[in-house]
Amino acid sequence: MNGSVIGRGTVVRGNVRGSGSLEILGRVEGDVSVTGELVLGEESAVRGSVTGSHITVSGAVQGDVRGSEAVLLERGARVVGDLTAPRIGVATGALVKGLVRTDGEPALGAPRRPATAMGARSPAFPARPPAAPPAPPPTKSEPREPEGAPEEELESEPPAPPKDAKPAREAPPPPVVPALAKGAKAKKKKRED
Amino acid sequence: MAGTVIGEGLNIEGDVSSEEEVVVQGNLRGKLTTTDAVSVGSSAVIEADVSAQSLTIAGQVTGDVTAAERVDLQAGGRLIGDVKASRLTIADGASFKGNVDMDV
Repeated sequence: MNGSVIGRGTVVRGNVRGSGSLEILGRVEGDVSVTGELVLGEESAVRGSVTGSHITVSGAVQGDVRGSEAVLLERGARVVGDLTAPRIGVATGALVKGLVRTDGEPALGAPRRPATAMGARSPAFPARPPAAPPAPPPTKSEPREPEGAPEEELESEPPAPPKDAKPAREAPPPPVVPALAKGAKAKKKKRED
Repeated sequence: MAGTVIGEGLNIEGDVSSEEEVVVQGNLRGKLTTTDAVSVGSSAVIEADVSAQSLTIAGQVTGDVTAAERVDLQAGGRLIGDVKASRLTIADGASFKGNVDMDV
């Protein structure tokens, strides 16, 4: 039987890896990686990344959670880290702080394609501005506004940004560094103490 | 049902400390400490110092072993390391290499 259990009164400081399923009811300070089902019980606490096929979380995790099949956060679960799995479920009462992505492992290597797809879409957005100009005609500023729209397009294109970017870089005023009286830091430190 | 079971196929590298019974059937490298009993199954491979209330060994243990109560080395079990316990049994067919300190 591969049913491993890290019990309620057990603390593991180090990495846990292996095949089969694992139930964690205690504490693990390290990465957990199993090929089978992974259950993190109500009072469990894991500080490290968690990997498994089907992961059910009812406890606390400080680290990324990656399931090759699914990740389910039950009520009372607290996760600070990214969730990645083809299927993700978050119950009411579960806390998540991090990126949640319903993607399988292969999708992680594929973001380039979606990115190019986005690039192809962006020209489609400039296509909308022409729809906007029809509204302003009453102001007779037609010639300018069409220019205004293309400028917005240009901003997203390489040639324009340098012009805009340089002034933008020059624009911010120099940081104002308040002059501290001698010993001010020391006083501050003392206060902190 | 034991509190903690490190099943066959599971690898732990690091320290395990517990307040409950620990059953090891997988691999453990580091340190194992519990205030309760430890049972080392026949499929287990442990490279760690083990400290427990009582210890039963049917698998492989490399490391010093300390038990508050007793150590039982069963047939097929293999222990390389020193034993410190007030009671020790070594079954026929067990392998053992190390010193014994029975605290007399």
